Amino acid sequence: MRQGAAPLALAGLPLAFLLVVLVAPAVRLVAEGWPTDGHSLQALWAPWQDDYLRWRMVWSFLQALLTCAAALVLGLPLAWVLARLEFRGRSLVLRALMLPFVVPTLVAALGVLTLMGPHGVLVQLGGPDLQGTAWLLLYGNLFFNLCVVVRAGTDALEQVSASRLAAARTLGASPWRAFWRVEWPAIAPWLMSALCLVFLYCFAGFGLALVLGGQRYATVEVEIYTLVAHELQLGQAGVLALWMLMLTALVAWGYAAIERQLATPGRADRQPRQRPQGAGHWLLLVVALGVFMLICALPLVAIAWKAIISGAFLSSGEHAAWRVLLEEDTRMALWNTLRFSFSAVVLATVLGLAHALAARRSLALRTLVFLPFLVSPVMVAFGLLLLYPSWTGNALLLVCAYALLAYPFVAKSVASALDSMPLYYLQAARSLGASPWRAFWRVTLPLLAPALRRGVAFAAATAVGEFAVSLFLSRPEWATLTTLIYQHLGRPGAANLDAAMVLACLLMALTMGTFALIEWRGSREPDHA
Amino acid sequence: MKHGIFSFLAAAIASLGLVNAASAADTAELRVLTHSSFAVPKPLLAQFEKEAGVKLRITKAGDAGEMLNKLILTRAKPIADVVYGIDNALAPKALAAEVLDAYNGPAATRTAVAPLPAPLVPVDYGYVTVNYDKAWFAKSGMALPKSLEELTQPAYARLLVVQNPATSSPGHAFLLATVGALGEEKAFDWWARMRSGGLKVAKGWSEAYYTEFSRNGGKYPLVVSYAASPAAELFYAKDKPTEPPTGSLALAGGVFRQVEGVALVKGGSQRAAAQKFVEFMRSVPVQQQMQTEMWMYPAEAGVARADVMKFAPEPAAFDAPAEKDLAARGADWVARWTRVVLK
Repeated sequence: MRQGAAPLALAGLPLAFLLVVLVAPAVRLVAEGWPTDGHSLQALWAPWQDDYLRWRMVWSFLQALLTCAAALVLGLPLAWVLARLEFRGRSLVLRALMLPFVVPTLVAALGVLTLMGPHGVLVQLGGPDLQGTAWLLLYGNLFFNLCVVVRAGTDALEQVSASRLAAARTLGASPWRAFWRVEWPAIAPWLMSALCLVFLYCFAGFGLALVLGGQRYATVEVEIYTLVAHELQLGQAGVLALWMLMLTALVAWGYAAIERQLATPGRADRQPRQRPQGAGHWLLLVVALGVFMLICALPLVAIAWKAIISGAFLSSGEHAAWRVLLEEDTRMALWNTLRFSFSAVVLATVLGLAHALAARRSLALRTLVFLPFLVSPVMVAFGLLLLYPSWTGNALLLVCAYALLAYPFVAKSVASALDSMPLYYLQAARSLGASPWRAFWRVTLPLLAPALRRGVAFAAATAVGEFAVSLFLSRPEWATLTTLIYQHLGRPGAANLDAAMVLACLLMALTMGTFALIEWRGSREPDHA
Repeated sequence: MKHGIFSFLAAAIASLGLVNAASAADTAELRVLTHSSFAVPKPLLAQFEKEAGVKLRITKAGDAGEMLNKLILTRAKPIADVVYGIDNALAPKALAAEVLDAYNGPAATRTAVAPLPAPLVPVDYGYVTVNYDKAWFAKSGMALPKSLEELTQPAYARLLVVQNPATSSPGHAFLLATVGALGEEKAFDWWARMRSGGLKVAKGWSEAYYTEFSRNGGKYPLVVSYAASPAAELFYAKDKPTEPPTGSLALAGGVFRQVEGVALVKGGSQRAAAQKFVEFMRSVPVQQQMQTEMWMYPAEAGVARADVMKFAPEPAAFDAPAEKDLAARGADWVARWTRVVLK
């Protein structure tokens, strides 16, 4: 019975947090704008009677679905290669995969346009100019989201039992058949979990995809943002946000329901990584790394390249762009980025761990993990302002907002690991007399470590990135690197563009360093696990 | 592993200290709400703090329109004592919402180069105009457009990028200029023809200027920006050219004079310091130094222009709808623009 009480107590922390930082503000904002003259039911159906808004909702759904399909097809080979093959630069690829998360949207767009814009490499090679097309929008979605699928797939493949795989192969299954019959069933829950996040991210998509695809491909979230932030039409925005919530909640609930059935406790005998052998391996390696380069790496390389060819690092004059790194503003932004992200990640880790552990047996709690992705962030941001006006200038609220958007990553990652965790270790520890706390500390937590690291890395990337920065109130003394980059891109002039590129390089380097730190011990672990 | 949890908890506590260190203050605080382009040099702000005996707490609340909405939303319990950045395009909305308090000090009574309806005190002004990429026009050999009408002709199809008026101040200002010059019906007829001519719409100024403008990786050689942008281009150029790489076009009906002001927030505290801040924004040092920070002209008469501003000549004429039309129809125009250009 003690096992029943502990999850409830654990659930209290994230639930209270969600109530205070998310539910109450959003409800307060909707209440502010709700029509009081009895037309509320009519208002509820209005979005579906407007051709423009109906298309926005259908399109939001479609592009998210397409992105999920593409991310699965492109991400799976890459995940398999990263989990099964040992090659130079493997851990570098694993970390670089997550860089798109932290690069400010506008900088990423500039990187992509260097490749596929009107003056881009593609056009120079005789290809089409893709700016403003739906292709570039999907590309933008993949650029950001591929890492979510690949990282989850890699972790999942590392959990697949080596002895079962060996048994299948010994009994004559081809590698392809072994993959479908042994590996795929084991990793499917993890992939579904990641795809669900990708879907929600794209559905509420806000950033790169729009800069690249243009206003024609705006999602419902953009409509909500415009209605709230610029037109103060809280009633209409509330109705749209409610529909979004219902549609996405359906997805999240559906996923949470099948997730429990898909969950299979794994075994701890991991398949060791091997050097590529034979033409098949090499072909797969080349294809997978090609996908990685094309989707994730090239736009980032283009940014670094732009910073270099602008003379940024080569020239030594007084006006050299790299001098921006020596400015006081940059030092302050670096310090702010570090302290805000660190605080947010600590909070997100505590919340995520508590939520995942509490949600093991509760479908409702599992669905609630997605809540921060289901509720429109602009509604939350304005709701916070309305509900806690005296807290607007408080850094604590800002950190809470960062953590709110970051913690589902920790929770999802840990929840997946808990589902596939072998039971007998814990049972052995308990029957040998370990207290529940001690068993958790010595058995469960070490087994969760790789998933926890992955979740924390994503949380850190979310906190460093611009997602939260642009929505919530900011003070000049809180400026982060992302804010600083946008300040430069808010003014005309080549020096500003160069400074933005150099700062983006600094941000990427900082992030790579952070990932290395978070996963430092993780990289050695699988060898002796 | 055992000391792991303690170091973790210690880190958690320390990190909360990290973010809270900034919010501890014993002197009185003056809360200033601004848009995200606010830029006054730090030494001037520090000097103000010393002279007024307060600590400044500046809050940037996004684009000017977004900032005003945040102010309106929280009027029951204001989040600021003084607000900077409400312009003549937003003034009717701010006045109707009654979020500002009257101020009659010297700065409010001195004649300004560009006026604003009271209780807003004008601080600076600029012109939203069409900018062009000199290199592109030199290479293509095309003549620069001479009127808005010419822009609708096939020769100029797919050359102009504008910002969405629903999400961007310069985009909104440009829409107001066309409505002011042509009248509502003719203006939207012009917009409809621009749409069929392949007008490009971007979300905000940064997106338009850095991803769509041909000077920076896009393909549109004409972009809605400011008359002072070419001067900024020169100021921030790397190899110190003698003239800017871009120019601004004073097309009749395509110029909007944007006047930004400062005002006391109704229900705010620290009244004396807030009034000092209004005066401070109109003081000569701020008026001089803000020119190359925010790229606007000073509203205070007789203030010397920054040297580089000679590359930002002021357009001779500009257009705007009448204030009462703007107050009554402003929101409808944006909605109509969305229908005509985007839907």
